[in-house]
Amino acid sequence: MNKFRTYNKRKYVLVLGIISFVMCALVGRLIYLMVYKADYYGDGAIEVRERERKIKARRGSIKDRNGVVLASNKSVCTVSVIYSQITDKEKVISVLSKELAMNESDIRKRVEKISSIEKIKSNVDKVVADRIRNYNMDGVMIDEDYKRTYPFNDLASTVLGFTGSDNQGIIGLEVKYDKYLKGKEGIILTTTTANGIELDKEAERRVEPEEGYNVITSLDYNIQKYAQYLAEKAKEEKRAKSVKITVMNPNNGEIYAMVNVPEFNLNEPYEYNGDKSIYETSNITDKNNLLNDMWRNKTISDTYEPGSTFKIVTAASAFEEGVLKVEDRFNCPGYKVVEDRRIRCHKVGGHGAEDFRQGIMNSCNPVFIDVGLRLTPKKMYSYYKKLGLFNKTGIDIPGEANSIMHKVENIKAVEQATMAFGQSIQITPLQLLVAVSAVVNGGEIVTPHFVTDIVDEEGTSIETFRYSNKNNVVTSETSSIMKELLEAVVAEGTGNKAYVEGLRIGGKTATSEKLPRRTGRYISSFLGVMPINNPQIIAIVLIDEPVGVYYGGTIATPIIANLFKNIANNGNSSLIMLE
Amino acid sequence: MVRRRRRRSNIKGSSINEYYDYSLLFITFFLVCFGLIMIYSTSSYVAQRDFNDAAKFLKGQAIAAVLGAIAMIIVSRIDYRILRRKFKKFNINIAMLLYIVCVFLQVFVLFFGVESHGKKRWINLGFTTFQPSELSKVAMIIFMAYLIQKAPRTLDTIAGFLLCFFIGLFIIVPIAIANLSTAIIVAAIVVGICFVASRKTWYYYVFIAFAGVAVAAYIFLGSQSYRAERIAVWQNVETEPKGYQILQGLYAIASGGLFGTQLGESKQKLGFIPEAHNDMIFTVICEELGLFGAVSLMLLFVLLLYRILIIGLNAQDLFGSLICVGVFVHIAVQVILNIAVVTNSVPSTGVPLPFISYGGTSVSILMAEIGVVLSVSNQMKTTKTKESN
Repeated sequence: MNKFRTYNKRKYVLVLGIISFVMCALVGRLIYLMVYKADYYGDGAIEVRERERKIKARRGSIKDRNGVVLASNKSVCTVSVIYSQITDKEKVISVLSKELAMNESDIRKRVEKISSIEKIKSNVDKVVADRIRNYNMDGVMIDEDYKRTYPFNDLASTVLGFTGSDNQGIIGLEVKYDKYLKGKEGIILTTTTANGIELDKEAERRVEPEEGYNVITSLDYNIQKYAQYLAEKAKEEKRAKSVKITVMNPNNGEIYAMVNVPEFNLNEPYEYNGDKSIYETSNITDKNNLLNDMWRNKTISDTYEPGSTFKIVTAASAFEEGVLKVEDRFNCPGYKVVEDRRIRCHKVGGHGAEDFRQGIMNSCNPVFIDVGLRLTPKKMYSYYKKLGLFNKTGIDIPGEANSIMHKVENIKAVEQATMAFGQSIQITPLQLLVAVSAVVNGGEIVTPHFVTDIVDEEGTSIETFRYSNKNNVVTSETSSIMKELLEAVVAEGTGNKAYVEGLRIGGKTATSEKLPRRTGRYISSFLGVMPINNPQIIAIVLIDEPVGVYYGGTIATPIIANLFKNIANNGNSSLIMLE
Repeated sequence: MVRRRRRRSNIKGSSINEYYDYSLLFITFFLVCFGLIMIYSTSSYVAQRDFNDAAKFLKGQAIAAVLGAIAMIIVSRIDYRILRRKFKKFNINIAMLLYIVCVFLQVFVLFFGVESHGKKRWINLGFTTFQPSELSKVAMIIFMAYLIQKAPRTLDTIAGFLLCFFIGLFIIVPIAIANLSTAIIVAAIVVGICFVASRKTWYYYVFIAFAGVAVAAYIFLGSQSYRAERIAVWQNVETEPKGYQILQGLYAIASGGLFGTQLGESKQKLGFIPEAHNDMIFTVICEELGLFGAVSLMLLFVLLLYRILIIGLNAQDLFGSLICVGVFVHIAVQVILNIAVVTNSVPSTGVPLPFISYGGTSVSILMAEIGVVLSVSNQMKTTKTKESN
């Protein structure tokens, strides 16, 4: 027997060696998994086991200056599925796709995904959620949460903005003040078994949500609503492309109303408000462009040639420079030749001999060309700069545009002449509003804004905003002269349709021909101030591409008159000190 | 004749100080008890949930373990050489009879077996079900050892080895039809016994090389079949839906860290790992006892294997020695395959962890096998030392 023992023993050792080697390799594999890959797979394990339920924070409300709620929340539901609890998969898929009107394959993908909880759809209406709940399906979970809601649908839509599916702000005040509004999401973390049963002994990790703060704006619901009504009426009557109205306090920049008609429904922000047939036949990119265009706040993000309203800036600059007096005499033959160009007045026959007062009342172009050419381009620009025309106004919603001006070295006489009556420059309506505010309020550049205060649910102030002002950009003398002239424009000049018995209104009309010229497309506008002796309200209306009569003095001026009359009569005494 | 011989051996045994490998006995008991604890730990949640009896699986396994322990003790006290004794009337011995019965059972189960998990592997005995492939492993060990000790020189040629392997195929083929992994284990037992018994080495390397090429060809060419899908799962365990079980096992292993989450505190066993008390039990051991516990368990297995080899080396005859080799290969291959599968080192295949995994047939027959090894140890005489004295 000892014969085979020697090689036999060798074989034994060899076998034991092979087994030991393989065992060592497996230990190495274990070390790799348990030490090196521990975090990777460990996290995977926690992800599978831990069910994270978010507790949505209630988003803060947006209110007007009198406490009218412009944006709030309503209760909606989120539908989720828990993979391991589903007993009848096909039923879950078919019911959810039917009730939620979703693609069956999309739902199938989520239902079949192995995870502890998978969200199917949020912002489900409570009625629909209750219907789903009544099916009593295993593994379908319905969480109540909040959906942003706008009680007045399209009121101030381009100002307020709306929120996305996760309650985050997308445009307007909703995005600008998102960090105050959104609050802090709470979380419940529970460890579950594979069947989704929560383990009692595992300490539930719970973080309470923090409600968002309320945002108090300077908007006035009544003014906003009436301005929108007027704008919509004008748009319809004049078959205009759009009508914009902005109402502001010229002394501190608080905006009472900002209307961009056509507005869109904030509760259905993805529903196109224009020609549906164009929208439906567009491709995805064009659809997005159409929607983006609809959402854009054109008062702050679109520039235009202001036209005759800009004559206020020209006149104020000339008074400041001391090169102009109200009594200065001019002659208007219906045109003025500047270098080789013949620039026409809107009145073909001309206004004849007139002083400056009559010139501004008539909105006579040759008069302003004359006045404009009394300043050097550089001087002119320094006044523009003082009046804030080279800066964004700093308004507190995103998307503001800046002015487009000639380079100062490129300004020749022709450019200077056209600039004097508001052509060949591009500014936003808001920039004009700020500049004119400074002219009438005694020389103070204000920062236009919507939000004045952040408060919590109890009304305790969290933050009060201070906006910077710049003083003495024009002297009080110039301011007084300009106010007197603007009142004259309304009392007896081109703005006479804004005359309202008992109200002291000043203002300036404008009819700007859109580029390219001679295509019959105009922007008619009127800028009004009330009461002109102690300005409390400044407002501008722009009618884009009206059909038919397009003179600002004829179609735009009555809108502001109407608005001012309404503000005065509705006892908004808090806004205006009527004399 | 029979009586006389037994009496003689008894006299001899009492006079020459019989050896009995208590360390092997102890390790076996320890492993089985540890297995019971782990089965309770892994199955109590699911058992409570599905059968309203947390100890359901523990009870079944405990009964099998007690029966196995009794069998082990009894077998260990019987001289293993009884296995090669001929019944004169039939001209057949127990080893051969066992082999023939197993061939029959394996064929029988293919046609009349009870299905479970989609596989016909069980025979219904009325009061319990029985997996004949577990018995076939023992039969193969004993029969191969018997065959080779009759004519060890046959293995000096490759033809002799192939003949042995061919004889083994009578059991391997019917098993392979229903259960490839068990067939691999049985084949490994045949090759292992032949390898140790043979004086030659080289043709085993040739054989293993051929087998390696065959497996590689199987992996890369057989892309359509059901088992090729397992290979795809193995390579993309995180994305393949059928890798769910293995992935959950990996999560469990990785959750363990160095010292684990402590006994009973596994989270993955709470229904995430399907049938955690079965083939996947090692992953929960890793999660609860950590790298430390897992390596300790592996060391325990190595110790067990070492004891078996020592007994084999000192066995009274080639028959006992080769039985030990067979048991050694059986346990070693199963431990390695099981751990390799649950760590996703090789494609998934269902191999239970010896002594630990749930399965009554498996644990009782394994304990009986150890009983045979103990019997071999029991026949070891300290004659050598006596003679040299």
